[in-house]
Amino acid sequence: MTKYVIQRFLGLIPTLFVIITLSFFIIRIAPGGPFSYERALPKQVLENIEKRYHLDESLLVQYGRYVLDILRGDLGPSFRYKDYDVNHYIKISLPNSLVLGLLSLSLAVILGISTGLISARRQNSTIDYLSMSVAVIGISVPLFVVGPVLMYFFAMKLNLLPTSGWIMSGDRWTTVLMPMATLTLPYFAYIARLSRASTLEVLQSDYVRTARAKGLSEPVIMFKHVLKGALLPVVSFLGPAFANIVTGSIVVETIFRIPGLGRYFVQSALNRDYTLIMGTVIVYSAILLIMNFIVDIIYGFMDPRISYR
Amino acid sequence: MDAWRRLKKNRMAIFGMALVIFYSLLSLLAAILPIHSFKHQVLDHQYLPPSLTKTAGELLYERQENTSMDAAKNEGRNELNEKEKEELSVLKQRIENETMVFDGKTVKVHQKRYFLGTDALGRDLLARIIYGGQVSISIGLVGTLTAVLIGLIIGAMAGYLGRSFDYIAMRIVDIMYGLPYMLLVIIFMAIFGRNVINLFLCLALVSWLTLARVVRGQIISLKNSEFVQAARVVGASTGRIVFRHLVPNTLGVVVVFTTLQIPSFILMESFLSYLGLGVQAPLASWGSLVRDGVDGMKSYPWLLFFPGLTMTVFLFSMNFLGDGLRDALDPQSKNRL
Amino acid sequence: MKKLFILLIVLCLPVPVFSQGVFRIGNGAEPQSLDPHLISGVPEHRIYVSLFEGLVAFDPKTADPIPGVAESWTISKDGLTYAFKLRKDAVWSDGVRITAQTVVDSWLRCLNPETAAEYASLLTGVIQGADEYNTKKAGPEGVGLKALDNNTFQMTLKSPAPYALGMLGHYAFAILPMHAIQKYGKDWTKPENWVSNGPFVLAEWKPQDRIVVKKNSKYWDAAKVKLDQVVYYPIDDNNTAFNMYLNGELDWQSVTPRERIEEAKKRPDFENAAYLGTYYYIFNQTKPPFNDARARKAFSMAVDRKELVEKVTKGGEFPALSYVPPMSGYKPMAGLTENVAEAKKLLGAAGFPDGKGFPKVTILYNTSESHKKIAEYLQQRWEQTLGVKVDLVNQEWKTYLDTRRDGKMGGYEFARAGWIGDYKDPYNFLFMWLSDNFDFNDGRWKNTQYDALVAKANGMAAGPKRMEVFQEAEKILIEQDQAIMPIYWYTTLNMIDVKKWEGWYPNVLDIHPTKFVSPKK
Repeated sequence: MTKYVIQRFLGLIPTLFVIITLSFFIIRIAPGGPFSYERALPKQVLENIEKRYHLDESLLVQYGRYVLDILRGDLGPSFRYKDYDVNHYIKISLPNSLVLGLLSLSLAVILGISTGLISARRQNSTIDYLSMSVAVIGISVPLFVVGPVLMYFFAMKLNLLPTSGWIMSGDRWTTVLMPMATLTLPYFAYIARLSRASTLEVLQSDYVRTARAKGLSEPVIMFKHVLKGALLPVVSFLGPAFANIVTGSIVVETIFRIPGLGRYFVQSALNRDYTLIMGTVIVYSAILLIMNFIVDIIYGFMDPRISYR
Repeated sequence: MDAWRRLKKNRMAIFGMALVIFYSLLSLLAAILPIHSFKHQVLDHQYLPPSLTKTAGELLYERQENTSMDAAKNEGRNELNEKEKEELSVLKQRIENETMVFDGKTVKVHQKRYFLGTDALGRDLLARIIYGGQVSISIGLVGTLTAVLIGLIIGAMAGYLGRSFDYIAMRIVDIMYGLPYMLLVIIFMAIFGRNVINLFLCLALVSWLTLARVVRGQIISLKNSEFVQAARVVGASTGRIVFRHLVPNTLGVVVVFTTLQIPSFILMESFLSYLGLGVQAPLASWGSLVRDGVDGMKSYPWLLFFPGLTMTVFLFSMNFLGDGLRDALDPQSKNRL
Repeated sequence: MKKLFILLIVLCLPVPVFSQGVFRIGNGAEPQSLDPHLISGVPEHRIYVSLFEGLVAFDPKTADPIPGVAESWTISKDGLTYAFKLRKDAVWSDGVRITAQTVVDSWLRCLNPETAAEYASLLTGVIQGADEYNTKKAGPEGVGLKALDNNTFQMTLKSPAPYALGMLGHYAFAILPMHAIQKYGKDWTKPENWVSNGPFVLAEWKPQDRIVVKKNSKYWDAAKVKLDQVVYYPIDDNNTAFNMYLNGELDWQSVTPRERIEEAKKRPDFENAAYLGTYYYIFNQTKPPFNDARARKAFSMAVDRKELVEKVTKGGEFPALSYVPPMSGYKPMAGLTENVAEAKKLLGAAGFPDGKGFPKVTILYNTSESHKKIAEYLQQRWEQTLGVKVDLVNQEWKTYLDTRRDGKMGGYEFARAGWIGDYKDPYNFLFMWLSDNFDFNDGRWKNTQYDALVAKANGMAAGPKRMEVFQEAEKILIEQDQAIMPIYWYTTLNMIDVKKWEGWYPNVLDIHPTKFVSPKK
């Protein structure tokens, strides 16, 4: 078992490597470059810049240089933001995205699983239809609508919350509420539906019927037997969900002025800031691969039907 | 077909299906419906609120009246002065007589009725929503079908052939999962241009992964069942076994995936519109309409409300239909999304 | 229990934190850098004006040059040599004196090809020997900058450019703490190493979140500075920024989203003033149909600019039939009056009566709601007035720049463009259309007469004769050839309550030095 775990973990490295390589070459295909400005630079000056950033060398040489740098932990200077390097930007923005992501996802999990369980127990009742409807609305409205609508009602009309800002930047703690609510909604929706479906399946399974026949009380059945089975699909959903929430929160971070990693994602692509793009790609992929890995391991522990070769 | 029976029992699913059919018909028949054009601008009519009974001319007149009254009240009067009354009668003349030429037809433009209001350039919102539906639904449909095609083929082959093909295919899936989709889309659109076909391709390219995984899982579990063994004994070729025997058994999963992926595509397209990478003007999609409407939500709420409602209801219906189909076709599924 | 409840409510209320001396600005975008030689862009400029002061500063009411680090100057008769007398009490925030040599060294750094300053072009355009140094054809010794003594700085121009003085407040001409740059290298812009000479110094920099500057007690005019702190918020989402302003979380917001202009117009704190810039379309003259001036004129004359600015952009913009916006000493050209009948005739003369046979043309624009609406409006307008078919293509910024500049404008017949003046002189607008200016003249219009006139005017001393020559040139550009299609002159859409803040005045360069801003009593 441990051997499998280690094997799998080591297998992540070549995958990450391939992702980095592909991204490196793909981003350089797009037209325009980091130094194409509206006021074009004179030829000699442009040559100078390109030399300084090694953009005049062949792609393979640049690639080799980049890989060596990464291995040393140096993600390079940003091509657009000239005062700090990529390591710095990732260091200051990743915690913000992580906190936002963790808070939102945790809330989504807690609310989602409870809603799913309750809906499954009372299948086809009004509560079931109601909560599933709310859940479906959660995945039917785009984030860039939910955010401004919340801002309009709670900040502008009712004056209860600040429009934007972020607690970790020193603003009031209430700045957390609207971004969290916006981001939680779609994940709550998925998790509620998932756990409802899997709970339904588990409730009809043999071992639950056995537990009931044995005369165990409802709460015991729900928590000791049903919960584990119901959680399985949710657990496997969490892996990609977590990585997505970190970068997919682009919209929320932009609207609510949260200095997170998501914003760099899109901005740096549009700015052709190659190093910053690569930095965000590496972080994103690493988180995704690790989360998927952890989720697979946990899944293996939780599902007695799976054994490892 | 007890799947159909099971489906019929699910009220929400049937309701969802009815709505989806309604939307689809509306989109298909858009060209022959008695609605305004989605791209004809009448600048005088910009930002008109929705109205079931009043014509554009009446609304314009009212608006002018109100503005003049406000100005009058600001100066302490309760009555309109000569100049303002003159302006109103000039307006009335224009309303009754002014025409514009659209596509060779002369139209008395102020007699138009805009049931759902107009946008910033005086275009009819109802028409734009219906034509936007064409774009959104077709993106959802075609994109999903492309994703399904790719995912099905790769997943089935990976599941059946196993070993090196499976290993490579799944590694590719892992890698593609790790690539930043956003980046790929931006670059793809930047290089190959922003038309609707590229939009389909782009979205499909990043969405076939989940289906491939799920289909592969199904095939693996069915690979060694009796009917497959029987087929092999009879001498059926690999291709035949995979595509004529195994794949049809995955249909349940595929159908469910399709109905649940379409909303996801429509949302992805709306995200691209948010970034300015969606459909090109003057075409509209629900996503781009909603994006246009968000900023003005305080002053012109109908520009956000109606497209948003339309999109939400459609996605809502598709999701319930998908859930219902899943419950009906595949009651024992592992319920992965 | 009740007390706890009340405490919770109080903690939750978004009471605007309004400390008397803090001015909060909605600044649009994260600055590329705080090093004045590595930046370009209006948000960066706003921050620069608080942190640094050049030889001259900006008058808050007119944006004209007023004494800054230089307390006086003399200009030679031929307009080529300027001698600046520096203040004796001009020091850096760490106490080190600012000498004439510092100025020389700073400007040479800007010109240094290694620095790769985007705006070195402002210096290479006017200073003798600057271009040669910047393009590596000669060394720094040949550049016309000299420190005559500790307090006297001399610059020699290649032509008597009358706008040179006005340019000296721009960040390309920044005076930099060379001693700090030498000591800290690339890290000199970090808050802990910060040294500058402006009314404020850098206190805090949280990327993508805020930049805080605080009063510089060593600034020579510190007595005049009334603010304790200025906070710059780089807000990407204009809607959020506007909301923040309405909610009292910002004191000055620089942009109003188009959809909310109507809302803003009803308020007294909406500052809508002329801005020195032009919004225009470039005609692609490398291929038919717009290689024919008649077709170009027809399209320009068929537009109803008044309707466009009143109904589509709504920001109080000025319909523009000519390219150079109004500025002191220069009367804008009349251009070719809009006239649909005339336009149709011209189109017919060009070989397309009633638009028949006219090829489908495409407008290229970069992603933005405003550009989209204007393009859609023009699409329908030309369809209805001229009977032609127009297509729209939108690309994101870098791709769009790349396409526009490839020598044939990507094959598109129109490209949307906008130009904001760096200084108040027609040259800043007309130089773009010189035949050899491949950086801007994307439509590849060529007219040697125009080139000659512009070059001639640029070599003349200040005065009405010079302006006349520019006018002749613009006549060729617009009335004779219609090389480009101006649409409107820009306006600013600022939100600030001038009843609460004094020292903020609308001006045509939209420069509002925070040095003069203070809360009203």
